[in-house]
Amino acid sequence: MEASDRPHVVPEITEKPKPPERETVVKAIEAIENGPASLRVYMEICAKCGTCADQCPTYYGSPEKSRNPAARSDLVRSIYRRHKTLGGKLLGDLTGAHDYSEGDIENWVQSFYECTACRRCATFCPFGIDNSVITRKGRAIIHSLGLTPQRLLDITEISLTTGNTDGCGKEGFEEAIRFLEEEIEDECGVRVSIPLDVEGAEYLYVPPSGDVLVNPEATMAVAKIFHKLGISWTMSSSYFDGANYGLFTGDDAAMKEENKHYYEEAKRLRVKNMMCGECGHAYRIFKFMMEKGKWWGELPFNVTNVLPFTAKLIDEGRITLDKSKNPEPVTYHDPCNFGRSCNIVDEPRTILQAACEDYREMTPSGTDNWCCGGGGGLAAMDDLREFRMTVSGKKKMEQIRDTGAEFVTTACANCKRQITQLMEYYGMDVRVGGVHDLVFTSIVM
Amino acid sequence: MSATAIIVGVILPPVTFVVFVAAMLSRFWTWKKLPQPGMTLFPTSPKGKTAGVLKETLLFPSLFKSDRFLWAISWLFHAMLVLIIIGHFRVVTDFPWLWGALNIDADTMSTVVGGAAGVMILLMLVLLIGRRFVTTRVREISSPGDYFAVFLLLAIVITGNGMRLAGHFDLAASRQYFASLVMLQWPMVPENGWFLAHLFLAQVLLIYMPFSKIMHFGGVFFTQAAIKRS
Repeated sequence: MEASDRPHVVPEITEKPKPPERETVVKAIEAIENGPASLRVYMEICAKCGTCADQCPTYYGSPEKSRNPAARSDLVRSIYRRHKTLGGKLLGDLTGAHDYSEGDIENWVQSFYECTACRRCATFCPFGIDNSVITRKGRAIIHSLGLTPQRLLDITEISLTTGNTDGCGKEGFEEAIRFLEEEIEDECGVRVSIPLDVEGAEYLYVPPSGDVLVNPEATMAVAKIFHKLGISWTMSSSYFDGANYGLFTGDDAAMKEENKHYYEEAKRLRVKNMMCGECGHAYRIFKFMMEKGKWWGELPFNVTNVLPFTAKLIDEGRITLDKSKNPEPVTYHDPCNFGRSCNIVDEPRTILQAACEDYREMTPSGTDNWCCGGGGGLAAMDDLREFRMTVSGKKKMEQIRDTGAEFVTTACANCKRQITQLMEYYGMDVRVGGVHDLVFTSIVM
Repeated sequence: MSATAIIVGVILPPVTFVVFVAAMLSRFWTWKKLPQPGMTLFPTSPKGKTAGVLKETLLFPSLFKSDRFLWAISWLFHAMLVLIIIGHFRVVTDFPWLWGALNIDADTMSTVVGGAAGVMILLMLVLLIGRRFVTTRVREISSPGDYFAVFLLLAIVITGNGMRLAGHFDLAASRQYFASLVMLQWPMVPENGWFLAHLFLAQVLLIYMPFSKIMHFGGVFFTQAAIKRS
């Protein structure tokens, strides 16, 4: 399918006449009564103990009531209580119930786009209440009213029309790939190819587009690894970007439509494995929604990720890395969607400990790691930059500073953008890159 | 019998019973049958999931990781609550085999363990209430309902301790009263102020519970299972 043939879904939604605000909000919240089960239980059992506020990067940066996770979730919860609980109907505000007023949506947009959906609160909440699910519900309602921030709408539209979030056409991509092949040859003197659209390959590599167009070292590293192993692989020149902003905007239809292109492309190419690159939310969608959630039934391919892939190769001694190529102190920032949501915690460490001489942990790390401050799509929004620097990203800056690392690695294009901006904002001389950037520089060919 | 005794001790109990059982069952049944698609996700192995949920329920490790003080007072509060609930079984039955095995006299056990638990839970409640008033991040998210729940518990604990500590209370009479209630016979309600207040407030709690955040004791299984899904 050519780019111009693809349907423009998002503009059609925004061009529709605005739905009635109050009715839309109340109806959507009343529907929580019918599930999902966890969301409904979240409406009913929060004990208001304040633990989430202690663990929230946004509240840490600015402890105001509007930024307290429980208060944010109460935007939805109070309306549910007012309309769907006996206490709320009879006693109203006394039970924390509160009706929705026309115009509240403005506050909603601001509040739900100040939550980075990092799920850190869920790992500390004694009841396991996952506020990110409530945030996503709030954003879905905002989306149904056509009020999703323009930047995220644009990215979703670009991605649906061009197949990638950078809006890069087929020719542009092929040119970029030829350039990377030349780069690798210049750097290590070996001709390493990056195959495109090869049917029947073992692996289809799907990175975030930034790992081809902006920080391409990770993709060059993957090319080197496959060259070394002699295993067939390919990239798709039409679909080379796992990023999927429907996860962030709460737009399930767009999320699924976007995902379907990748499913069909992997099927068309008859690959054995779809291997996601360093993009946590893409992997989360591919692995836990598309595959385990059986969006398209049983898949004719496996869904894997490049971090466990490379870690296993190192463990088995099938590739060798030369630590001395990366002497500076290096740390790793666990992206929320890799650590907390996909439990990929040990693998990047296996790679980094083999690839650099001085690996340092942040405190805390792994599934308890603090969000970079740009999660949930916030990193892409320039009008939130001041907020991301001074509020949601403050803790991350302090964590990085405390490691003394000169190079922060992370496996997420949005984390990279956010942390790069943080280092600039706070005048810290720290480089930012992917885990495989260090594989690229250290792999013994 | 006084009118108060008849209202609190004869008329209210069947109402409490019906409301409590029906509302609780309906709540659990609804939660159980609702669909749960995979947006909420926190992968661990299936074995780790059950163990994880149990551990969360019994020991509150997530809270321990976050806030030691809150962990200590809320764990002690819940532990004392469990002890006290078990102790209340003696109102309708007894465990002579247990006292025999422990080689201890039931009344001594009741005075020492029950008395200590009553005082301890009072202390923990006062700390929990104090924290809600003093800590900004907790106070700013509290509604009147959150205060009502803790103050109701406080009142129940105070009247319960009052029965034990303020003057003499006839345990045999209360056992006879509950036995009649269970057998659906016209009961003789003990005319003791502490007892009637305690009985009344406890019934308010039972009626209020299925409609309140106190349901976290059952909901926690659903929510923890959701984020620990494999």
